[in-house]
Amino acid sequence: MMIRNLGGFFLLVLLGATALAAPASSPAKGSSRLEPSQISDAIKTDAITIPTPGELFAALAKPGKPDWASRYRGPISINYKTRAQIALNLGGLIADGFIAVEAQDTQQVKNIGGDIMKMARALGVSEGILARGNSINEFAENDEWSTLQEELEATQNEVKSSMQTHRDQDLIILVSLGGWIRGTQVVSGVIDKNYDEKLGQILRQPELLRFIRAKIGTISPEMQADPLVKSVNTQLGGIEEIVAKPFGQGLTAAEVTKLSQRVNALMEEIQKKD
Amino acid sequence: MRRLITFCLTIATTLAFLHSAVAETDQEVAAREVALDLAGAFSNDGFKLRDGHWTGVLAPNESKVLAISLYAGNQYWFSAGATEKAKKVSVAVFDETGAPVETEKYDSGTKAAAGFSVSSSGQYLIRVRLEEGETAGVCFVYSYK
Repeated sequence: MMIRNLGGFFLLVLLGATALAAPASSPAKGSSRLEPSQISDAIKTDAITIPTPGELFAALAKPGKPDWASRYRGPISINYKTRAQIALNLGGLIADGFIAVEAQDTQQVKNIGGDIMKMARALGVSEGILARGNSINEFAENDEWSTLQEELEATQNEVKSSMQTHRDQDLIILVSLGGWIRGTQVVSGVIDKNYDEKLGQILRQPELLRFIRAKIGTISPEMQADPLVKSVNTQLGGIEEIVAKPFGQGLTAAEVTKLSQRVNALMEEIQKKD
Repeated sequence: MRRLITFCLTIATTLAFLHSAVAETDQEVAAREVALDLAGAFSNDGFKLRDGHWTGVLAPNESKVLAISLYAGNQYWFSAGATEKAKKVSVAVFDETGAPVETEKYDSGTKAAAGFSVSSSGQYLIRVRLEEGETAGVCFVYSYK
């Protein structure tokens, strides 16, 4: 372990010499472009292609730390009638966990961690997830915020892995989607209030939306026929149109406002209890 | 008799397949350890490591391209690790249009990484390549801050 740490230290020193803050210097080998077939055949998986809410919030926090606590929402139900709605809300709750971590709010992290466990159990996720709940509490009590971000993602992945094992694959993309919608709701809300062109860049993600919608297209016909899933998918089409700006071009202030309104409406529908 | 031979062949093929599958899994686990070891160095510098990863087996001169969604304003390091049979792996980054992106590099035999600061959000493509050596397990992870 000591040797590994030393190795890591020396590597860090070496890398320090070429800090990221310095101008980038090395183009991809051969400087040749990828072939169109290499782009279309690129490996896309839920685990690496869909960013965590933490990545989105990290980008937002660069120009100045937002008032994360003002982005909390009131408690949501943890009992919904359909598994699809539970999965979407579970993803949203995990995003709430990332917000509480950004706010460095121990009690809020513990509350959300408890709700995540309850909702995961409602989906029949294995009991093994409970250990994650204890870790979340422990890290929160010890102010280990960076580790908590990784723990939240690990919890999400464990939930998805359990879904895979229990042949509940259809729910996996809904958990990721719930997290993306809640994260986008928060970030578009903040940018809408303090718009500048750089911030408008953050929300441009057409390929991500295409990937999520393509994944929804592969879930079972029964799940696709779920009224909430159907409605969410339709609304995602409208959202995709807003964020589908050419590469290098950010969203305008008006587009951010429109996006914020759309995701607010979508989130309201997702968390609505009949 | 013919049924018995067919049965034995099926069992033998299945066992061979299982052995190969297990061996691949072992390679992938070992490769993941190498990749995590490299990514650990970036964690010391405030980079958060994504829990998600990709693992696979690459033949010499074979590469895989992975699609990742990145956010403007963030810094990223993409790390690849391979098992000992590999002599050299490389990591290269391309933007959504397939154009190469300038990055900082770290290359050390079975470990390689590329890092850069993103100015335009969108899909980026990361090419992991086994440049030299024998067929080996390879793992890809990434970190951000």
